[in-house]
Amino acid sequence: MRRKKVVSLIMTASLAFSMLTGCGNSADSSKPASTDSASEESSTDSTGSADGTGSADGEIKEFTAFFATPATTEINEDNEIQQIIAEKVGAKVKETWLTGQTDKEAIGTLIASGEYPDFIEGGSGTPQLIDAGALVPLDDYLDDYPNIKALFTEEEWDKLRQDDGKIYFIPQFSTIKGEEKACAHNDEAFWIQTRVLKWAGYPKVETLDEYFQLIEDYNAANPTMEDGTENIPYTILCEDWRYFCLENAPQFLDGYPNDGSVIVNPETLKVVDYNTTPTAKRYFQKLNEEYKKGVVDPESFTQTYDEYIAKLSTGRVLGMVDQWWDFAYSAGDSIKQQGLDSKGCAYVPLPITIDKGIKNQWHNSGGVLNVSSGLAVTTSCQDVEGALQFVNDLLDQDIHDLRFWGVEGVDYEVLDNGEFYRNKEQTTAAADAAYKSSHLCPYSYFPQYNGTSDDGINATKPENQPSMFYETLNDEVKATFDAYGAKTYVDMLGSSEAPGSWYPMWSYSNSLTTDTAGGTAWLKMGEVKHEYLPKVVMADDFEASWSEYMSVYSECKPEDFLAEMQGELDKRMEQAAKFNN
Amino acid sequence: MALTKKKQTNGTATKITWKEIKRQKVLLIWSAIIVVYGLIFCYFPLVGWLMAFQNYKPKDGLLHSTFIGLDKFKQLFSDVAFLKVIRNTLAMGVINLIATFIAAIVFAILLNEIRSKFGKKSVQTISYLPHFLSWIIVTGILHDALSSSGIVNELLLKFHILDQPLNFFAHPQYFWGIVAFANVWKETGWNAIIYLSAITAIDPSLYEAASIDGAGRWAKIKYVTLPGIKPTIMILLLMNVGNVLNAGFEIQYLLGNGLVQSVSQTIDIYVLKWGISQGDYALGTAAGIFKSLVSIILIVIANQIAKHNGDERLF
Repeated sequence: MRRKKVVSLIMTASLAFSMLTGCGNSADSSKPASTDSASEESSTDSTGSADGTGSADGEIKEFTAFFATPATTEINEDNEIQQIIAEKVGAKVKETWLTGQTDKEAIGTLIASGEYPDFIEGGSGTPQLIDAGALVPLDDYLDDYPNIKALFTEEEWDKLRQDDGKIYFIPQFSTIKGEEKACAHNDEAFWIQTRVLKWAGYPKVETLDEYFQLIEDYNAANPTMEDGTENIPYTILCEDWRYFCLENAPQFLDGYPNDGSVIVNPETLKVVDYNTTPTAKRYFQKLNEEYKKGVVDPESFTQTYDEYIAKLSTGRVLGMVDQWWDFAYSAGDSIKQQGLDSKGCAYVPLPITIDKGIKNQWHNSGGVLNVSSGLAVTTSCQDVEGALQFVNDLLDQDIHDLRFWGVEGVDYEVLDNGEFYRNKEQTTAAADAAYKSSHLCPYSYFPQYNGTSDDGINATKPENQPSMFYETLNDEVKATFDAYGAKTYVDMLGSSEAPGSWYPMWSYSNSLTTDTAGGTAWLKMGEVKHEYLPKVVMADDFEASWSEYMSVYSECKPEDFLAEMQGELDKRMEQAAKFNN
Repeated sequence: MALTKKKQTNGTATKITWKEIKRQKVLLIWSAIIVVYGLIFCYFPLVGWLMAFQNYKPKDGLLHSTFIGLDKFKQLFSDVAFLKVIRNTLAMGVINLIATFIAAIVFAILLNEIRSKFGKKSVQTISYLPHFLSWIIVTGILHDALSSSGIVNELLLKFHILDQPLNFFAHPQYFWGIVAFANVWKETGWNAIIYLSAITAIDPSLYEAASIDGAGRWAKIKYVTLPGIKPTIMILLLMNVGNVLNAGFEIQYLLGNGLVQSVSQTIDIYVLKWGISQGDYALGTAAGIFKSLVSIILIVIANQIAKHNGDERLF
């Protein structure tokens, strides 16, 4: 009897359980978004926007923002400068960032829920946002906000128009005011630790072969760091979209700038696929050789971004390809904090090309107009005027100084000639993660200026202040710069003008969707490269692996993708011609 | 449910009369709540399946999107990647099912043989705790343990089984095994609970009788314990067969990388990739519907087999 009772109890319990789980699944498949945490986030966010609408004079409006990119620093709730700005302009923004998802996943989830924060930066999910009718067209508003309007010329605003002729977003990083002051190389390069260069007596390193030879030699002579930790000679980040660290070097090695998804031949104005060039093959073959020698970190292809940053932060990694912004504000600052930069663990860029005598274009001067994404106001925002007023206010010079320089007397000093100056302590403090969270508030994904301030003296951002830049450099970095006759990171590489009015093509490939044949091909090419590039590098038989990769790659129909890129290139050149006449 | 069953076994089928309804008022209200809950949360969302037959755009909604019939299903089955995804899901589902299933039964029986009550309780508690860890933590531990400088490689090197650290996540052939191992590690203790409770329900006099007949431990397990928990095993097996296509999402999503993507992606990841990331909600929904249909078919088949063999079954 008892046994039967227990069994029937279990049966009923499990039946009920199976019903629940069964239904849960079907709900999942039809509306996968409803269970996701990001949608919850957004719904709590939208309550924040309600506060914004009800504010009377003198009250501080609160807006919400979501940026589809991981945070370099998250601002604390009681951040000091955020409060100062709020009191001055009467509004503040609670920022949320991407965590643990890709940008497209996060945006897709928001769209499925239909609720958005007030401000949004959609990254590569921006076309989906526009398609879903989630963004407010800004055309009718722009004239009322002079600071925003002044960010771009008519021609540039025109480039931002979508297919329906409307402007939906404001690129944040594309404007240079006055004279350009670039000290940092905020882009991609082959980076190397200063200790390697110092050991070798600061040799001239120009080609890929020389670069790896140097790293190999150094590591053979000094296999460990001072404290006995083993060096990692060369590591490659290739998690998700960050696999550019592996993937797009061939375009630079051939002396082309960062068009990102294709090479554009400036004479014929034809697009070239950099995945299949002889240079690409030589580059991956080199990586393959180095992998076999144990120079390339065997964990390269399986590490996550966090693991990569943690690795870099220990100072063990001698060199890698990466974008400055991808590691400098996390791992770079951490190296500074631990004083490892004085042991030669800070990174400097090298002007690497595949052969000698090619002019490198790792660094381009001038702003790059990103026409694929930017800051947008969503239809969930109850107070569009207030939101845009806030963006407008953030561009005022005094607020801009607060955002990037900080508080006068605390974060920087003003010299008699009006020049801003940060001493060593202030520079170190500004690199401290805790201080950045509690005190500094750059609103880093809101529109901003590079170049020179209204006063005509100072750089808009401290990292580009020439007088201060060199002086506050670490001695090891300074010695390296001196040895190469450089004053800044940019001098290490040399600088080139932007190559033409099509530049950069990545702003188009970023906005491709699978609605077109080219977009589908682009997606498939990405998937194939994610799998086969690591395989090729790890292969025992490089030639066989490479030809396998090439045949799988051509099955993705890259020609569809290239055709669409060529179409966009032609369109851009036509439009530019219109404005030149 | 149990009540009506009892009534029926008593032999007199109750006629539905007003009086009877009034008498069971409270029961009816309680079950009505469950039915309404089921309708709202389980059946109403199925309206969303319509998306699979439309060229669905969030802007137009379900009502104004254009109908395209079975186009999305055609697209789905002509996609080589989707066929691969089905293979991965089935393979990992079956491997996980067998591994976790056997591990739980063996573990429950072993635990039952422990004499010391304290030892038994503490082992049980410790072993089911991993169930409460989220996958993000478990995959973090795995990633660390199996990395080139992780503890597993260190041991393999120390014992001279390998002379080079092996990067487990770089080789597709290990991936399914790692997933199965993670599942076993996380769920064995938890799954064993239900078998343990089934074992305690076995009449002790059966064991006494077996001892008198000269049965040792092994024979007692074979002839008393296992037959005693057979109904539980059958029911759980049936339910889990329906779950085979739920081979997982988090673990593959978190452990996967470019090198192993051809074996790591499951249907759920495919749905996420197309439905959410690429904004093709119709294709994602179609893949989801396919998964649900296959699950239902699997359950029915397994149930028929159980029925045929005269074992316990679901319906």
